[in-house]
Amino acid sequence: MGPRSGRPLIAFALVLLGALALASPAQAISLAPETPRSPNAEAIATTYWVMLGIAAALIVAVNGALIAAALRFRARRSRRPGRAPSGRGRLRPALAALSVLAVAVFVFGVVMTAAVRDVDESGPEGLEAALAQTAQVGISGVPPPDPFAADAPQDPAETSPLEIDAIAQRWVWRFEYPGGEAGQGLFTYGELVVPVDTTVIVNVTSTDVSHSYWVPALGGQVQATPGSTSETWFKAEEEGRYAGNSTIFAGTGFPSLRSWVRVVSVSEYRSFLGDLGGELQEAQETVAEDEGEPEEAADESATSEEQTP
Amino acid sequence: MRSFNGRRRRPEIVARGIPRPRPAWIERATSADHKSVGLLYLGTALVFGALAVAELVLMRIQLIVPENTIISPEIFNQLLTVGGTTAVILFAIPLALGLIGYLVPLQIGARGVALPRLNLLSYWLYAAGAVAVYASFLYAPSDAGPIALAPLSEAAFSPSNGVDAWIAGVALATAGFVLFAVNMIATVSRMRAPGLAWRRVPPFTWAASASAWVLAVVGPAMLAALAMLFIDRNFGGIFFSAGDGGGPLLYQHLAAIYSTGLMAVALVVAAGVISEILPALAGKPLLSHRATAASLVAIAVLMPLAWIQGMYAAPLGAAWTTGAMAIAIALVLPFGTLLYIWLATLWGGAIRLRASALYALGAISTLAFALGLELALAVIPVGWLLDGTAAALAAGTYAIVGGSVLAGFAGLHHWFGKLTGRQLGEGVGKAALATIVLGVHLYAIPMLLAGVAGQPADVFQYFEGAGVSGYNLVASVGAFVLAIGVLVELGNVVHSYGHGRPAAHDPWGGTSLEWFALSPPPPHNFDVVPDVRSPEPMRDIREAIRMRTETFAPPASRRRARPAERGEAAETDSSGTPVA
Repeated sequence: MGPRSGRPLIAFALVLLGALALASPAQAISLAPETPRSPNAEAIATTYWVMLGIAAALIVAVNGALIAAALRFRARRSRRPGRAPSGRGRLRPALAALSVLAVAVFVFGVVMTAAVRDVDESGPEGLEAALAQTAQVGISGVPPPDPFAADAPQDPAETSPLEIDAIAQRWVWRFEYPGGEAGQGLFTYGELVVPVDTTVIVNVTSTDVSHSYWVPALGGQVQATPGSTSETWFKAEEEGRYAGNSTIFAGTGFPSLRSWVRVVSVSEYRSFLGDLGGELQEAQETVAEDEGEPEEAADESATSEEQTP
Repeated sequence: MRSFNGRRRRPEIVARGIPRPRPAWIERATSADHKSVGLLYLGTALVFGALAVAELVLMRIQLIVPENTIISPEIFNQLLTVGGTTAVILFAIPLALGLIGYLVPLQIGARGVALPRLNLLSYWLYAAGAVAVYASFLYAPSDAGPIALAPLSEAAFSPSNGVDAWIAGVALATAGFVLFAVNMIATVSRMRAPGLAWRRVPPFTWAASASAWVLAVVGPAMLAALAMLFIDRNFGGIFFSAGDGGGPLLYQHLAAIYSTGLMAVALVVAAGVISEILPALAGKPLLSHRATAASLVAIAVLMPLAWIQGMYAAPLGAAWTTGAMAIAIALVLPFGTLLYIWLATLWGGAIRLRASALYALGAISTLAFALGLELALAVIPVGWLLDGTAAALAAGTYAIVGGSVLAGFAGLHHWFGKLTGRQLGEGVGKAALATIVLGVHLYAIPMLLAGVAGQPADVFQYFEGAGVSGYNLVASVGAFVLAIGVLVELGNVVHSYGHGRPAAHDPWGGTSLEWFALSPPPPHNFDVVPDVRSPEPMRDIREAIRMRTETFAPPASRRRARPAERGEAAETDSSGTPVA
């Protein structure tokens, strides 16, 4: 290797690094996704880190070998190209290594996919779903669980998670909660409020075009497809407010189709539902003469409420 | 001059039977010669390459700071739609088809293509499609996104006529691609030179044949989707309308099959180009000709089958997504084999770092980023995290810049002399290469980070507190650098086309038959079609010439008087081919 042969490469790498470092005053550079706050998001983050490591190893290996070959075997007067040895055995080690890699990645992917899909049970601090369920009886016609049945669940929270319907439209989310007065569902726009440590099943659908429901701290993307319902779940481990985006292009207001999940304690959740029911009823009565849709009153944080024409 | 077909028995000279010379542009537009059609494809594709980077620059100007309002959302979405369509359908694929259409008949020792007029028609369909897409700028271009995902592209949500223009344009271009593929399949199947068995077919022709089959399969899928969408929009159809019993997922599947297939075509052709350049410039044959061909075919077969790879979040059964994950991961075998073969071919060679070789190395380096990231995205949970975000955009950018821009320019540098008789400027080309590689990393690495931080792709704005402002600033700068590199290289092409230095007929010591033809080849390509006895026919021809000129050294007068079976080769050589 000549003394000068590597210099353009080094200069090139320095320019690239310098330019990337320009971002650092304005931007904390991080390869980490948003800190996971739910078991499924944790499994997704683990998968991401492992695959990022494999991708980085492949990228470094190929580029390193490429640069080494270009520097070492550059044509010079003294160099004559060698004839490549032929023979079928030459590729076997590479093929074997690649097969091992492919099988390992596939098995890892299947295991981690199952880990993300597996719905956990609500924790001890979570909502006791039995109470939520008795509150639902009036509207949904579901009979209350028979306490005298032999296999009556001892801890109802383990068997019946909180079910939320998430309905997308251009460009706002509507979250429908179980419970409420007869004939009057409870819902919010933009922000979903759920109790901590409680398994929440989200049934995602859309009323117009395809969107995606995605709150990175609480799990992966789910496509909201008109005409079909997809299910996802999460169990928030900490109270807080988590933001999410849609990733499927949906026209002019697409970037503003955002969603927030506010995780609160169980008692706060109960009082929130109570307030929501009252406010919705009030709003309902004030606009009853119009027979229009009830205005969303409980949630000030819903940013965009424009309805599609 | 129809004196040979029996209708006119008497040989006679009729003045009006001699075709009058026509203006050059009419000749160019109507000639069914595959070389003329190939140049049309290449020239048009490069024009749209310039437009694609211009549209990228406009979009990145809007995204340079958070909540920017310099470009309205409507115009941004039009740029997004037309820019994405331009980059893939009007630039990347036609660039590959131009190289294929020009070079494959030469590589297989044919004097033309099987269906020359179909070939010409395919170009004009593509050109008409491009006109349809761009003519909509006169009123309102489509703003329904680069793949016009239904039901967003239905009349209820996108009433603009631009969407109909987009449908017509993409359908015309796609029909052109399918006709091109039919012609290419027929040509490679039926018109190979004697002795050119499949096991001796050069890697680029393998790539051309495999990608032609891909186009012939995925093109009609998209044509069906577009026809249904057009009926939905204009004649009250309900194919993709969920409320009336239609299936929005159907369009998503068909469009994904098409876009994955197009990506496969771009990557397979890029791999074919690289597999031609490296052995020639390293002075060493490919490690394994058979494994290269097998890998190219494997990519062409497997990759379109993994179309669900980008749809892991869609409401599909677990068997579908798991199957797609298996196929997408299995692609690591052919891609890894190709990378290994390329590196082993370079190793121990004597690499002439000409612009073509450097572009090929840059393409491999960039494709390694694309393949690493796509392997990560192939795993379902990572797809749930990153699909549809700026990170997936970064992986796609690496694929299209590595596969189409860098490998395409590598092919242009390698074959420019053959195509035009002139050399493509070396120094400017190398400077443009450095600029493009710097630009793509400056653009794609921050986009990757922004996607991991949660920024969706395709947004016309992002928000102040989202923690992605710095990433977008650097990415915009990177996009400008990338655009400058591409435009400089396009300027290099235009300048060299008119003013480049004259090119030799066999400058690189290539081993396939296109180097047997003159630069540029005459209309009939070859005076004599050689017998092929090995996978490296041009090496054999050179060897035969060397044997004749050095070993025998017959007197000049006798040599001319004896037209042996290799004599024509020697004459072709004496007309200017420098022997490596």
